[in-house]
Amino acid sequence: MLALAPDASSQKAAAGVSAPAKWSGAGVARDALWGECKGSGSKPYRACVDLREPAYRCSCPSRKFPCKHALGLLLLWSADGVPAADEPADWVEEWLADRRERAAKQEAKVAEKVAAIVAAEAASASDRSGASDGSGGSGGYGASGGSGGDDRRARQREERVDAGLADLERWLSDQIAHGIAGARQTALADWDDLSKRLIDAQAPGVAALLTGLSRVFRHEDWPARLLTEYALVHLLAVAHRRSADLPRDLRDTVRSRVGFTTPKEYVLAQPPVRDHWQVIACRDEDRDRLLSRRVWLHGRATGRIALILSFAPVGQPLDSSLVLGTTIDASLCFYPGSAPLRALVAARHSAAPSGGPPSHGVGEADRHSSPASGEAPPRGERAADRHSAAASGEAPFHGVRAADGHSSPASGEVQPGGERAADRYSPPASGGVPPRGERAADRHSAGGVPPHGVRAVDVPRLIADVLARDPWTDSWPLILSDVVPARVDSGWYLADHDPHDPKLENALPLLPGTLWQLAAVSGGHPVTVAAEWTPDGLRLLTTWDERGQVVVL
Amino acid sequence: MTGWEQLVTTALLGSDRGTGASPVGVLEQAAVEAVARRAGQSPVRAEPLAVAPVETLPLAPPRAADRLARMLAGEQGRLIGEWLELAVAHGVRVPARLVPQLLDLGARDRSVRAHLGVLAGARGRWLAELNPAWSYLQQESSGEGLLDHGVWEFGASGDRRAFLRRLRAASPDDARELLAVGWDNEPPVERAAFIATFADRLGPADEPFLEAALDDRRREVRREAADLLTRLPGSRLALRMAGRAATLLVRDVTRLTVELPERCDSAMERDGIRSELPAGRSGGRKSWWLQQLIAHTPLDFWTGHFGLTAGEITRLPVADWRREVLMGWTRAAILQQDADWARALFDAEPLTDLLAVLPPAEQSERAAELVRAKDVNGQLIMMLGGIARPWSGPLAAAVLERVAEVAASQPWNAGELAKLAAERLDPALHDQLGHLPDALSVLPTTLRFRFDLTEEFS
Repeated sequence: MLALAPDASSQKAAAGVSAPAKWSGAGVARDALWGECKGSGSKPYRACVDLREPAYRCSCPSRKFPCKHALGLLLLWSADGVPAADEPADWVEEWLADRRERAAKQEAKVAEKVAAIVAAEAASASDRSGASDGSGGSGGYGASGGSGGDDRRARQREERVDAGLADLERWLSDQIAHGIAGARQTALADWDDLSKRLIDAQAPGVAALLTGLSRVFRHEDWPARLLTEYALVHLLAVAHRRSADLPRDLRDTVRSRVGFTTPKEYVLAQPPVRDHWQVIACRDEDRDRLLSRRVWLHGRATGRIALILSFAPVGQPLDSSLVLGTTIDASLCFYPGSAPLRALVAARHSAAPSGGPPSHGVGEADRHSSPASGEAPPRGERAADRHSAAASGEAPFHGVRAADGHSSPASGEVQPGGERAADRYSPPASGGVPPRGERAADRHSAGGVPPHGVRAVDVPRLIADVLARDPWTDSWPLILSDVVPARVDSGWYLADHDPHDPKLENALPLLPGTLWQLAAVSGGHPVTVAAEWTPDGLRLLTTWDERGQVVVL
Repeated sequence: MTGWEQLVTTALLGSDRGTGASPVGVLEQAAVEAVARRAGQSPVRAEPLAVAPVETLPLAPPRAADRLARMLAGEQGRLIGEWLELAVAHGVRVPARLVPQLLDLGARDRSVRAHLGVLAGARGRWLAELNPAWSYLQQESSGEGLLDHGVWEFGASGDRRAFLRRLRAASPDDARELLAVGWDNEPPVERAAFIATFADRLGPADEPFLEAALDDRRREVRREAADLLTRLPGSRLALRMAGRAATLLVRDVTRLTVELPERCDSAMERDGIRSELPAGRSGGRKSWWLQQLIAHTPLDFWTGHFGLTAGEITRLPVADWRREVLMGWTRAAILQQDADWARALFDAEPLTDLLAVLPPAEQSERAAELVRAKDVNGQLIMMLGGIARPWSGPLAAAVLERVAEVAASQPWNAGELAKLAAERLDPALHDQLGHLPDALSVLPTTLRFRFDLTEEFS
């Protein structure tokens, strides 16, 4: 339950208001949980939680979200301290109705835009089939459906980006011509200057690549690393210059890496992939006063992994609708590109049964799932839109569509290496729906089921395939099944478990760091591990213990 | 030189100086090479970790384990010790995912190590072998194989100590004889730990062994043996001490006069008297010897010697060195676990260490009296800090009363007392606290937390 708290102090505060004596008029009915909490003022604070999402509201002035009252109420509820009621209290009902109305409006608005884009897409596709591509180097979505002023602004931006990247190409070529031996002394100032110019040129993605370059100097082999980075940035600039000649998917990838934001409506116009998506990992980062949250989802049937990114300025809550260890029945739309990874939750159909940790809410929602819950608005990207990658100085997404074009979710679109997972797909019911009436923690102990992944020995082929489609990939999520921790000297590895021949050459290096948690959970036995491939080794994300509980590494 | 290395060299020196390769060509070729190298990484051969042994203890209940995880993350972290104690009492182990954090905690905090020996289970021991920072765990007993003689012959030191304790509890004579067989070959640090086990069911039959241990090479062994021998009234050491003490305290009708010892000879040192002042102690050495001599003299000697009860003796005025005399008796009362003397001395000076010698009901009663009589201040709180949980009965009632009483007038002291009470009160009282001001919410919150913590084990 406390995983929902925005920070540690909120957890503490929530525990403080979870005592039954603090609450009056608390109740739970349908998907709503509510209560009145005695505060410092004369009027009690009214807190309620929509358990489907979960979403929160409280009359207290706290800027934290969810506030301690909502969390305390959830804690109380998880300790079976809230009586069931027939109907929500009036003020709760009001809020719920309000939410439903807003959701419906929001959805209608987005649906309208999506429809417009789909129509435009269809039109331009028929154009293209008839004649040569008339829209030139500009991306498919940038110019569609806008007014004249938008068009002019878009054209201006294209010109600025072109000029900025041309400038960068010249600079890189100069560096190689004169040699990079002196980079340690001079490059930092150059990169700073260049990245400022690229921000002005509205190419924030490339700007961010340059700002991040200084990390190469942490390594002894920095010349090779720097050459790699220069070469890849150069490749990106050239690819953008020639993007008119590129296949559509690759062009989307290039544009996103350069720093063009893909409009949400454009993403939602992509074919949705419906599946039972298990939240397999979550990581928050704080960069330049901007918090980012990465949530990785694994589709049980498709075997696909999706990355949901959200952003918030420091002090504001990050999107907390996806809770580690839970599974949702949802439709995802992937950002277009040649190796699609980043996605949006287009629609949640109902909470899928899962035994993951703070799953009380999910389980409860499942019991009372109403038809309306299937119409939840697309969520999780509000913050991302407001604070687009431009602000974060980071490429907004890494995903690009498969080079072989769209395949509909019905056709069982799978990732490389995912075929196996699809074969092994077991219906969600086998995920262990706990019997009704069990307490939250018992259900919790029933645990989730680790997702099905790939073998370590298959990873190089899988990564090679991703790199062939998007050569700029510097991290890619993986789920490894049946792997054991291994060591060579002081380095740690993950190897396929093979009781017959434990000395096979099948071990993948891990990034240096604290690996004891993995060793502890595994105890030398095979485990399932979620990790990110990076050129320097795997970055561990999560594993599952013998009870199926997800453990953050 | 590979193609890649050549490219790096060219880039380092500058393509203008080299073979005349074009800079753009170098960049393009490098892009191809770099991506190919990333895509071409192949797995290596690595040695999988040995498989950890099978666990013998059941897992802690999931809710309890979740609470521990929260405490390790900072919530009510001060209560971790209580959780660990309860878990050991229930004979469970912690889930593997929490073992590394607990072992890290044990590396910083010695007080939890004994619990971890059991709670971390087989996985904990297995990890401790892999990570030198956690090797301390091997000194702790795993609580396993305690009646298996093989443990004594071949076990880790923690398990050998535990075995000896168990054997001692079952049969002190067998334990002593087993120990005597290999005594001379035991490492000194082990000998000190082993001899401490004699405290359980100490009897006259142990006297010869302990008397011999007074000549041990290691000081800890000698001191432990001397402390134990003072608890045996008929021991040779007790008689020697009584002989020395008789000349030091003389009853002069209605008061006691003190004669300081003139020297600390080798016989006294053999009996556990330290000639040198301990670090931090000021004053003369003679008064230090005096205190130690009294502390190591059987208390029964005084009652017989003066023909008075403990209460009467402690009320006698002492001409000089009163403080040293009282300290000596206090140490003796604690060492010899003598309730009569502890009671009498507590009346003279309320030290919580003395309370621990009294039966629990009396302890609670006496502490309660103090709480009602004294000002709520740092001194009182420190005194109460010496009383182990759970506080119930009169002490609990008195503390709650006082907290409410001074909440308005002395908010800071009330807060400190509430904080201590929150950790010591019997958690079953969590819903009987009555109304407390919001500033003291730590009391109901923590108590409720501890109540839930306890419940989750049942």
